[in-house]
Amino acid sequence: MIAKFGTFLKKHFLPILGVIVIAIGVVFVNASHHETTAKAGRTPIVFWHEMGGPAEQALDKMVKSFNQSQDKYEVIPQYEGSYDEAVQKIIQSHGTSASPALFQSFDISTAQMMHSKYTTPVQKFIDEEHYDTSDISPVARSFYSNKGQQLALPFNTSQPVLYYNATLLKKYGITPPSKSPSYSEITRIAKQLYEKSHHQVKGMTMEIYGWLLEEALANDKTSLINHGDGHTGNPTKISVNNPNTVKFLKWIRTNIKSGDFVNYGSGASAETNEIAAFLAGKLGIFVQSSAYIGQLTTGNKNELGISYFPHPDGTKANGVGIGGAALWISNDKPEKVQKGAFEFIKYAENAKNQANWQVATGYLALNKNSQKEKVLQDLYKKIPAARVPGEQLASAKPNNANSGILMEGMQLTRELEETAMETVYNGGNINSALTTADKAMNANLQTTNKANGR
Amino acid sequence: MLKSPASNPTAGVHSADTQAKIEASEKTFSLNAKDKYYAWLFLGPSLLILGVFIFYPMFRTLYLSLFLTNTVGKPTVFVGLQNYVNLLTSADYLNSLLVTMVYVLGVTAATIVLGLLLANLASKQLAGIGIFRTLFSATMGVSVSVAAIFWLFIFNPSTGFLALMSTWLHLPVIPWLTNSTWAMIAVIITTVWMNLGFTFLILFGAIQSVPRTLYEAASIEGASSRFQFFHITIPSISPTLFFVSIVTLIEGFKSFGLIDLMTKGGPTNATNMLVYRIYKDAFYSGNFSQASAESLILTVIIALFTLLQFKVLEKRVNY
Repeated sequence: MIAKFGTFLKKHFLPILGVIVIAIGVVFVNASHHETTAKAGRTPIVFWHEMGGPAEQALDKMVKSFNQSQDKYEVIPQYEGSYDEAVQKIIQSHGTSASPALFQSFDISTAQMMHSKYTTPVQKFIDEEHYDTSDISPVARSFYSNKGQQLALPFNTSQPVLYYNATLLKKYGITPPSKSPSYSEITRIAKQLYEKSHHQVKGMTMEIYGWLLEEALANDKTSLINHGDGHTGNPTKISVNNPNTVKFLKWIRTNIKSGDFVNYGSGASAETNEIAAFLAGKLGIFVQSSAYIGQLTTGNKNELGISYFPHPDGTKANGVGIGGAALWISNDKPEKVQKGAFEFIKYAENAKNQANWQVATGYLALNKNSQKEKVLQDLYKKIPAARVPGEQLASAKPNNANSGILMEGMQLTRELEETAMETVYNGGNINSALTTADKAMNANLQTTNKANGR
Repeated sequence: MLKSPASNPTAGVHSADTQAKIEASEKTFSLNAKDKYYAWLFLGPSLLILGVFIFYPMFRTLYLSLFLTNTVGKPTVFVGLQNYVNLLTSADYLNSLLVTMVYVLGVTAATIVLGLLLANLASKQLAGIGIFRTLFSATMGVSVSVAAIFWLFIFNPSTGFLALMSTWLHLPVIPWLTNSTWAMIAVIITTVWMNLGFTFLILFGAIQSVPRTLYEAASIEGASSRFQFFHITIPSISPTLFFVSIVTLIEGFKSFGLIDLMTKGGPTNATNMLVYRIYKDAFYSGNFSQASAESLILTVIIALFTLLQFKVLEKRVNY
């Protein structure tokens, strides 16, 4: 049998090879055809993004309707994997024919993109076209700007909020948290829930996530990094070991000690696990991105409660910064392509598209006129709590502390914050954990500054 | 890398033509101009491919490791061996070295012991043993992502199988992936489970090839089966055993997919192995110079183990 097949192969080697080559060729040509060519007469705008799942579908829909709305440009969306890896792909492909004209890059890559000088700040087009940005959330805009210059425009935006199981609180007769709760208020509720349920329900959790620690500092009007978190000059010193970080970690420590706190660790699995526990009624309170709201309302038998990110006792909430990503324009493409990219950005920011985006994904509508759109009104009618994250976003007045951290190497900084959090959650000393993190962060910052001649 | 007795480098390689030439030149071997031309023709393509895909990246890595790299990954400031000094004095990197060693040794030891046990069981002549042989080697067909997701379900602290079992038995639930000690054990268990199919198959083959006559003779002498296992089976398959352990060891050093899917190096860097660290430093933090230095250190470590394999295998081959 095998021998027969062998002679058959030998006899018809060339024709077989020919068929295979043609088949592969067809596949490749089709695949590339699908991805990079635009309809005749249109300028192609290659758009790299990192939206997976339902968000990708919503984005593809938005792109399709943009392409249908005009006949000059054709935006070609391409999914590039996770945020972190996409940053390196964007930087390393710059200046080649494979690079994108328009790309989505996440919050903590802002300084890196700015320093790379690989992008055209959108301020140029805003000025040229007299585009009015005042409708777009100021705290989100300030995140992607430097000294009054808009570098990129925020796109998918979320804020951390506090979720609670309103049904459980009612069941045990516990007063729900106020709209902008303090640390001690949350501790009280978590403790009561744990005690009154006879330890069947854990009170609260806070994922080991650097973003949440940074937001706690922002809400406490504390800069993690000197020169106003990098907004007034190049950062030279990081001080994670400050009284307000200690305050935040002590608050969590109190809850860990009284047993009402549950640790789900870090990363995507932590988020999956805490949401699973919350939906199963085994967890009362958790703090997480507002982008999870869709997942928390579908199939949730209990009433979902949402309040603002908690603030320390005795201070007023400063308002938290945003998370998510922005749309950037590469400067390695001709003027015409860059203009087309900006056309799409404007389209993505309009009231109607932002409203649809919030309904489809859970990311917050950035355009203040979106609130009047019918789709959002319908959503609020169905889920009243869904209004809260948008209100938190609208209430924050931008200052240096809550406009994000404009420093390179934030990925590593965040990792070190998480290591410190993990140490504290597992019973380590708060001060020494923060000192260790401080040292490593500053060493890294010095290397970065040296390597870039700053 | 397993050397078979047939792989004597001179046998069966030369064609009759060259054989005749060698004989004609009275057993002195020299290349004439035409031969040199052919040599370049045949070696050229592979040299080119090796050069582009192996040697150039290697030298580039070495070069990068002596510099600091800026925002866009370009080398800017020459620092000599500073990157290496920084790494070898940083508690963080030494911790990575340590956890990698623990992981690699743990995985290798457990894989070999369990693989040997299963292979020995499966080599017994019993009814339906074929089913077990298939089952034991089944994990060979499981991809890393499937294994990781499968075990993530098992380790889930609220709804996982292990959590449900411990709740049912009124035992405390083990924080498999959130506690640093348990996370290491969890990834070791998963890796061993994945490796077991391959190890089983190789060791099973080796046990099958041990001459039956040795066992028959031992049985006549009245040796117990335990004695036979330690004094016939183990010595006879020792080259294979050594081969499998080195392969497992090196594979362990290179472990990436599983770590990425299960723990992402956490908690508290407890499973931040060398390879995963290189990836994170280069493609998350964009610190290419440090990642290059780490790559070279890892290369040296793996080269040492490979060298060990060659040296010992040459001596210990037992036919």
